[in-house]
Parts: sequence; structure tokens; C-alpha cells
Amino acid sequence: MSYIDTIKKLPQVMTPGSSACQGCGGELITRRVMQLAGNNSVFAVPPGCMAGAGVDGWSYQNGCTAPIHITLLDNTASFLSGVSEMYQRKGRGDVNIVAIAGDGATADCGFQSLSGAAERGAKMLYVCYDNEGYMNTGFQRSSTTSLGSRTSTTPAGSAINGKEQNAKYLPLIMSMHNIEYCATASPSHMMDMVGKIKRGLECSKRGFAYLHIFSPCPTGWSFRPDESIDVARRAVRSNIFPLWECERGRYYLSFDNREPITVREFVKSIGKFASLGEAELNALQASTDSRWALIKRLCER
Amino acid sequence: MRHVTPLGNQGMYILDTAAWRVVRPVMDKNRCVNCGICLSLCPVGSIYAEGKQILISYDYCKGCGLCAAECPKQAITMEAEVK
Ligand SMILES: Cc1ncc(C[n+]2csc(CCOP(=O)(O)OP(=O)(O)O)c2C)c(N)n1
Ligand code: SF4
Ligand code: SF4
Ligand code: SF4
Ligand SMILES: [Mg+2]
Repeated sequence: MSYIDTIKKLPQVMTPGSSACQGCGGELITRRVMQLAGNNSVFAVPPGCMAGAGVDGWSYQNGCTAPIHITLLDNTASFLSGVSEMYQRKGRGDVNIVAIAGDGATADCGFQSLSGAAERGAKMLYVCYDNEGYMNTGFQRSSTTSLGSRTSTTPAGSAINGKEQNAKYLPLIMSMHNIEYCATASPSHMMDMVGKIKRGLECSKRGFAYLHIFSPCPTGWSFRPDESIDVARRAVRSNIFPLWECERGRYYLSFDNREPITVREFVKSIGKFASLGEAELNALQASTDSRWALIKRLCER
Repeated sequence: MRHVTPLGNQGMYILDTAAWRVVRPVMDKNRCVNCGICLSLCPVGSIYAEGKQILISYDYCKGCGLCAAECPKQAITMEAEVK
């Protein structure tokens, strides 16, 4: 069955009426992950835009049709470790245990519990939708925010011009935990993303599976809502967000980007990069190139 | 009202995101080849299949325009919303 037939056929688990912004990448990712995991799942969605938009059901205006918990910003993976263990002991290993968490809840505040759960091999699929900042509280920078991004805590002004540090490359760090499955994905490459969500769910039956998904945010990054998928596509094609997967210590490229576009082509139309000059764009290009070179060295094909 | 997910007739009150729309996607069925790409990319889950036909529901569509931007056949145009 083609991935589009799969999407057509499976019922939605996330209800309509989500208050996520128009064109939100996070809503698309959350919907897709929930749909593929299905109702025989327990979800955890910590505070952030997706919880704020109501997927946890707290607002009584929307939610989902499966059991879901709003965890704390920093304990999603340890919370689900316990839930997972309980289901294992009850002989209910068939239940999908799934986290859908923002980059702040994953790479920053939640990193200790995430790293612990990964190292223990807790059986779950942990999905991070990476919109590169604390969007729900007003676009503060996070450790995954890319270099030069304008956020509310790294403004573009006379003292600094956007974020001064490089993004922490979390997916590679997660793969170094020797987990069952680790991959990056982007909604612009939906077939690949669907395949990776399915593989992640399978691998979560044996141990820890981690997916890091690029999540365009029109409101926080300042671009038109109808451009979300194009922004994600440009991120992949410029190597800002390379697509790869790692299973049992072996790395594979999912998209061999033979003719990358430049970082300049990626940033055009995205307001959060609007103030960057030559030198800053060159720095972003250099860090993008060096990360791509590292990924290519790691990958077998 | 066509719910993407049945919530039961006593179900929750649902936030009316259709009220956000200033433009609405209109599909030209003479151009559309029912490939389903728009369906796979709509963040709201507002595009559905009926048999082989791909159709747009206006119940919750937020009018973001993603479907129109991504349709390979340019079969969707965004038209001013008339209330
Ligand atoms: C310990 C703690 N600190 C701060 C907050 C307030 N808070 C709620 S959501 C949020 C942003 C989370 O960012 P992220 O995980 O990236 O999700 P996003 O909003 O970007 O979707 C913050 C800081 C909190 N809930 N808990
Ligand atoms: S602020 Fe960004 S991530 Fe949050 S709901 Fe809006 S578009 Fe989505
Ligand atoms: S993407 Fe275009 S051609 Fe394909 S189903 Fe949607 S409207 Fe039709
Ligand atoms: S305009 Fe946006 S919300 Fe409406 S059907 Fe198209 S993609 Fe979905
Ligand atoms: Mg975030």
C-alpha cells in the first residue's frame, strides 16, 4: 500500500478544532504520528504548542480519541518509562507508548529524563517536533535554534544579531545512546516520514526509538503559512536538516543530497533570518557544510 | 457537520477553526488527478477521500493555503471567503 493510501485509510486520532496556527508543521506531524500509532496507544504530550493547542483535551474543545497525558516539560520520557513498564508487566506489549514533544521539552529541560530512558532502552517511540524554540511561550531560543535566528531572547539589534551559538544536533546525540532506532524526518518528505514513524513504532516494541522531525513554524519564524512545506523542503535540500536513519549502530542516508541548494536559498522568505548579512550567512553555511560532511562520513549509503 | 473523527453525539464542543478563514481552498475537479498529495499535507486533516475522489471539507479548514501551494497540478485556488 502506498503511503498516501495508508493516510487515506487510517482514521484520525487527533480531533479537529486544534488551535495550532494556520500552516503549523507541528500539527501536521502530531496528526500523522497519532494516526499511524492508532487508538491502541498511550500518548504523552508535554506543555508546548501541541498541548497548548488542546491535543491533550484540557480545553474540552479538541483532543484525541486515545489515552493521553500532559506530562511536565521535563519528565516525558521518565513518565512513559513507567507507563511502558506497567504495560509490559500486564502482558500488554501490543500497546504503543508514544511521546510527541517539542524541542525545548526534549533537548533542554527534558534531556536528562530522555537520555536516561534511552540508555535504559525503555520501550517507547519518542518523537520530537523541532520548531527550534519555545514557541508556546513566545518564541524564546532553545538549544536547537539555528545560528542567526531571531527569537524573543536573541533579538536582532545593535548588541547581537540573532542567536550567536550553533544548534545542538540532538538526533546524533540520541543515536549515540545505542538505541533501537533513531532517525530524522521532515513533513516535506512525507513518504519517508511515514515509513520512519512506522519503523519507529515497530522498534519501540524492542527498545527505545527516537524520531527528530523538522517542524516549520510560520508564526514564530515569520513566514507565510502556505510556505511551511516549502520551507521544510528547502531545509532538507540545503542540508540544514539532513535526512538519515540509524539502526543498531549503522547509519544510512535517506536522501542523498547530491546538488544541495545554498543556505541563502533556505533563509529567503523566513523573517527570523531577515537581518543576517554576508558574514553571518557564511558562518551558517560553514556550520551546515561541516555537519553534512560528518553525516556523510557516518552513513553507509 | 462532517467530523474527521467521530466524537459521539454527546461529544465535546469543538473549536470552530473554520471561522479563522479569510480565504478558502477551491478544488478544480477538471484539473485534479486525485493523487492525494494535498490530503497527506493538510495540517488540519480537512481533506478526505471518498472512494477515489479527493475532497475538501470546510468544517475546520483554517485556510492556510498549504494544499494550494503544494498541489502538483495547480488544481486548488484560494478564493476570498464570503461569510
Ligand atoms: C519546567 C517548566 N518551565 C517552563 C514551563 C512553561 N512552558 C510551557 S510550554 C513551554 C515551551 C516549550 O517549548 P517546546 O518544548 O519547544 O514546545 P513548543 O512550544 O515549541 O511546541 C514553556 C517554556 C513549563 N511548563 N515547565
Ligand atoms: S507558534 Fe508555531 S509551532 Fe506553535 S502553533 Fe503556531 S505555528 Fe505551530
Ligand atoms: S494535490 Fe492537487 S491533484 Fe492531487 S488530489 Fe490534491 S487537488 Fe487533486
Ligand atoms: S487551506 Fe490549509 S487547512 Fe484548509 S484544506 Fe488546505 S491545507 Fe488544509
Ligand atoms: Mg519548540
